[in-house]
Amino acid sequence: MLSVPLGWFIAVSSALFFIGAAGVLVRRNAVVILMCVELMLNAANLALVAFSRRLSDATPRGSVFVIFTFVIAAAEVAVGLAIVLAAYRNQPTVEVDEIHELKG
Amino acid sequence: MDFIAPLIFVILAAIVVAGGLAVVLLPRITGSALSMGLSFLGMAGLFALLGAETIAFFQVLIYVGAITVLILYGVMLTRVAPAGADRRLFFQKQAGWALVPLTFVGVVATVFALSFQSNVVQQPGGDLEPLANAVFRDYAFPFEVASVLLLAAMIGAIALVKRGDD
Repeated sequence: MLSVPLGWFIAVSSALFFIGAAGVLVRRNAVVILMCVELMLNAANLALVAFSRRLSDATPRGSVFVIFTFVIAAAEVAVGLAIVLAAYRNQPTVEVDEIHELKG
Repeated sequence: MDFIAPLIFVILAAIVVAGGLAVVLLPRITGSALSMGLSFLGMAGLFALLGAETIAFFQVLIYVGAITVLILYGVMLTRVAPAGADRRLFFQKQAGWALVPLTFVGVVATVFALSFQSNVVQQPGGDLEPLANAVFRDYAFPFEVASVLLLAAMIGAIALVKRGDD
């Protein structure tokens, strides 16, 4: 029996999620924004595993969700980096504010 | 011996949160990427503390191993431009920093108001066998669809970065 309350895990998870959200909002580098999205996905994973442990079901559904989230995160970072590199080749900058070709 | 688990939890949580803050606050992108790897390692420790050892193993394998290296390649292949004109709207940065603590306090207050105070149940025997039973029996079809998704993402990434001269 583990003596750490579930709320602590949820608090760490939401702290990391909102740190990632702050990074997405304030940083301008596209690669750093991708990293912050990864942090947010990871925080959601922690919440899923913690709630799954709390339910103590025979089937660890939360852990199954986390495995699928790993797949999504890997696909997301691969395609995201490919888009960043393609945009960088088109116009040599990764600052999202400088990519304004479509701005009227 | 009841204080060991909370102590380990506090250390791992400090690593995770400090790594996350370093990702956002460090000016150098390489430092951001490496502290993201540190944060992922701490998160693997938290998974192990929750009794999800298999998830902790996958976390180290996929996040610390693959995604951090991929991000480092992204850092290597792009060059940081010198700081140009600031195109942000007025107060955009301040609004971002202000919004986040407000929502964070709201979420944490809600969590504790819903009284998730109960301790986490840890089952003996590890989680590999129930997880394998769930993934390869109950969720076998979504698992196959996920592998197709990974294949599609891989082909898409190659197609996006392929040079157009052949």
